[in-house]
Amino acid sequence: MKKTILLGSMLAASTFASVAQADMLDDIIASGTLRCAVVLDFPPMGMRDASNNPVGFDVDYCNDLAAALGVKAEIVETAFPERIPALMAGRVDVGVASTSDTLERAKTVGFSIPYYAFENAVVGNEKAAMTTWEDMKGKTVGATAGTYEAIWIEGKIKEWGVGEFRPYQTQADVFLALSQGQIDATVATVEVSEANVASGNFPGIMIVDKAPMVPDYVGLFTMRQEYGFINYLDLFVNQQVRTGRYAELYKKWVGEGVPADLTVNGVSR
Amino acid sequence: MFSYTFQWNQALNRLPQMLDGAWVTMQIAVLSMVLGVLFAIMLTGFRLSGNKILSGFATTWIEVARNTPALFQIYMAHFGVASFGLYFSPIASLLIGITFNNAGYLAENFRGALKAIPDTQTRAARSLGMTPIKAFGYVILPQMLRISFLPISNQMVWAVLMTSLGVTVGMNTDLYGVTQDLNALTFRTFELFALAAVIFYVIVKLINFGARLLAARLFRY
Repeated sequence: MKKTILLGSMLAASTFASVAQADMLDDIIASGTLRCAVVLDFPPMGMRDASNNPVGFDVDYCNDLAAALGVKAEIVETAFPERIPALMAGRVDVGVASTSDTLERAKTVGFSIPYYAFENAVVGNEKAAMTTWEDMKGKTVGATAGTYEAIWIEGKIKEWGVGEFRPYQTQADVFLALSQGQIDATVATVEVSEANVASGNFPGIMIVDKAPMVPDYVGLFTMRQEYGFINYLDLFVNQQVRTGRYAELYKKWVGEGVPADLTVNGVSR
Repeated sequence: MFSYTFQWNQALNRLPQMLDGAWVTMQIAVLSMVLGVLFAIMLTGFRLSGNKILSGFATTWIEVARNTPALFQIYMAHFGVASFGLYFSPIASLLIGITFNNAGYLAENFRGALKAIPDTQTRAARSLGMTPIKAFGYVILPQMLRISFLPISNQMVWAVLMTSLGVTVGMNTDLYGVTQDLNALTFRTFELFALAAVIFYVIVKLINFGARLLAARLFRY
């Protein structure tokens, strides 16, 4: 009798142990598919080509990650505000979605080390006749709600005490409003700004100046407690830089020049 | 599998900001209803006028308001008219969009209410020497508003819920806009939106309760 109980409890313990051991990384490998949340409204990081296929830096980055894991990549389009619900509801495994790694957000999700860093530009309507970023003072300035640059400019406007801030839900709406003259200026990543000015979709806009802010470091994100997977993501980001793939993707999607330095001087992570 | 630890205090900490947003939402909803009722009466008058241009205008308004999404109407009030050089601030665009929608639906409610009022009343009023406008204003209109009181309170509920569409035109001071901003800041999506849903629910319950109280007072026989 005692032996049976002992055997039974050992069996139960081993079953539980094996359940507990299968983490997200195991699940991804077992399922054969890596599902990435990508924002496809954020050129050149994520967008759609002429035949409506998802393309861009983030899309390639997801494909690389899937290839490294030896699984198939599945791009799940998510709008900026839907990234976290998609992850929490188990619709995606990882976010490759240009997500700024703020401390506030890191209380909710787990971030990898930065895989990209944006610099921001001030883009103005030509009629607003601005020459430096400080000319935004007193103007109506828009940005994509909740982004790093939106938080920065909203703070600046509060500090100045004049002018108005308007958040829009998508990057496209911000540039539409800017082109129409509803807002005088916006702060957006250099990449997005250059792509939108060059596209000709938004007449009457011009890049005014660089925005004097700390580069916007963005990380991959997944469930906060999935240390195994986060660990893998960290190494993957490191390898992308080490192998030159990071520079290659930069050249492919952003253009000539040197991609942003992903290390911060004087501190290690 | 849904594995997430809820941290309700992260949302509750933001309650004061969200209540400020709820106040703005209420203001927009009330204002859009007051304007909506006025415009709906105007549209009803246009339809009764027998003038082809006026009734055509009213029909077009009602058809567009009732048969296109409210989101489209608000979006047009911001980005659509801006293509013609007419700029409205986010709050004005939202107000215009909801008012437009309210007026369309309310005008239909009023039409139904008019059907419930016998034609003979108009004729009786006219035979007493009232002008058509007086007959409408003194005899028909009060009854019409009374019959459609509950549909009006229903539309008020819609107006409150429609304010959530303001985020698409850059609103960030109403309840939904505030919640969306906080969500982007903290990523506490579930807690914040659950709290916002509760606030919306309470607002709507209060409106329904208030409408019933008001109805009991106004419609005592």
